[in-house]
Amino acid sequence: MSTESQQTPSSFTTLERVRSEGRLWADLCDQYGVENPDPPWRLSLEATCEALNAGTCALPTLERRSEEDELATTVYADLPFPERQVLALAHSMMERGLIDEEQLANRMNEVEKRLNSV
Amino acid sequence: MAEEHSHKAAPMVDEVSDYEVLETAVRELAIEKGLFSAEDHRRFAEYAHSLGPLPAARLVAKAWKDPEFKKLALEDGIKASLEVGVDWINDAPTGFGTPSDYTDLRVLEDTPQVKHVVVCTLCSCYPRPILGHSPEWYRTPNYRRRLVRWPRQVLSEFGLQLPADMDIRVEDSNQKCRFLVLPMQPEGTEDWSEEELAQIVTRDCMIGVALPHPDRKADDPRPVHPAVHPVEHHDH
Amino acid sequence: MSMHHVEKITGVGDPQCFEGEAGKPRFKEGDRVRIKDRPDIFYTRCQMFTRGAIGEVAVVTHESVPPEDEAWENEQAPAEWFYIVRFRMQDLWGDYPSTYPNDTLQTEFSERWLEPA
Repeated sequence: MSTESQQTPSSFTTLERVRSEGRLWADLCDQYGVENPDPPWRLSLEATCEALNAGTCALPTLERRSEEDELATTVYADLPFPERQVLALAHSMMERGLIDEEQLANRMNEVEKRLNSV
Repeated sequence: MAEEHSHKAAPMVDEVSDYEVLETAVRELAIEKGLFSAEDHRRFAEYAHSLGPLPAARLVAKAWKDPEFKKLALEDGIKASLEVGVDWINDAPTGFGTPSDYTDLRVLEDTPQVKHVVVCTLCSCYPRPILGHSPEWYRTPNYRRRLVRWPRQVLSEFGLQLPADMDIRVEDSNQKCRFLVLPMQPEGTEDWSEEELAQIVTRDCMIGVALPHPDRKADDPRPVHPAVHPVEHHDH
Repeated sequence: MSMHHVEKITGVGDPQCFEGEAGKPRFKEGDRVRIKDRPDIFYTRCQMFTRGAIGEVAVVTHESVPPEDEAWENEQAPAEWFYIVRFRMQDLWGDYPSTYPNDTLQTEFSERWLEPA
């Protein structure tokens, strides 16, 4: 078993695109001179992870974190938190069939239009 | 309960990143599919926004000033938390503590003989209701796997060099208990007020990777690097 | 999580809600215990690196349904006592430097994982 990070492309094309093209919060901060260490969506992401572990427990924390650790050594190795966390979450959810890649891609298109039209 | 400034401020970034889009899309789909309700998410997010390390710092400062309170903190962390305005049971949106944090806080008292340091090897459990959100480095496999194996090495990477005659006690929080380190009060601060003392009890001191210092009011930034020699594969 | 369980813990807390359910704890502070290497077929919170190790009970913490049962929404399963067990680092890791004989690690187990040593 390799002890080094070997970055490989994500098996999910949607996520691979985000991984390779998405702008990191750290870079956005540099560009816009913003000092907030966390992106505005970080706590929303925390709440999503928590909500998935609560109630009907669609995705228990222990399993999600275990997969996140695994993905951190392979597919999403070269990313900081929370970028890695959101990619790993989407990855785990798709692997489990909780959401579907096509739906995700469509929704992302729609969200992007919506957020950029403000 | 004081709120973290950084969590309240709306950053002026005039660009929507793919990550922001992804987070939004995942959340919306999850709600539509009934994995959780919008209301649940809103309440968890609101709770998350309310959390920070100040109450824990005040608990430590209070314990330093008041031997009776210290006794309470060591015997019943949940009750002691109430005195710094944190109700582990009822503050959470659920009304019974969160599914991540539960409601059993234990305070670990450092002594001249023993230095405590906390980790969660399995998933990075953390005493969020009183200490706020865990730092990135705490969540990394690098920290989690190496601290239980080479604690002195990891601490020295944090700039903490322990004397040879002091013992380390690593606490791996793998169940429902959550842990907060009560470090020793630094020399020269005996006459300080509780408020002044709270200012030098930083988050890292309460995880156990730093010692409070009269001149330091903020944690040093920590480099995060991948695990070079992970301890072992964790089988769940 | 069942509605029954939600009602049980609201305003009470978890693990407080299980108080009184596990009877008398089998172990007490200071007892020497060994961590059993039970087969974990599905889900466990007992770290691999503690299996077979011998330590000392440091704290008797609380009663709760163990994670191995709770993970399957089986909150009706019997509660057990939980214990923080302290190990010498020397006993966990063969190559731990002998210059630090008193370094320890402690972590928590439900009663089913412990046997007298």
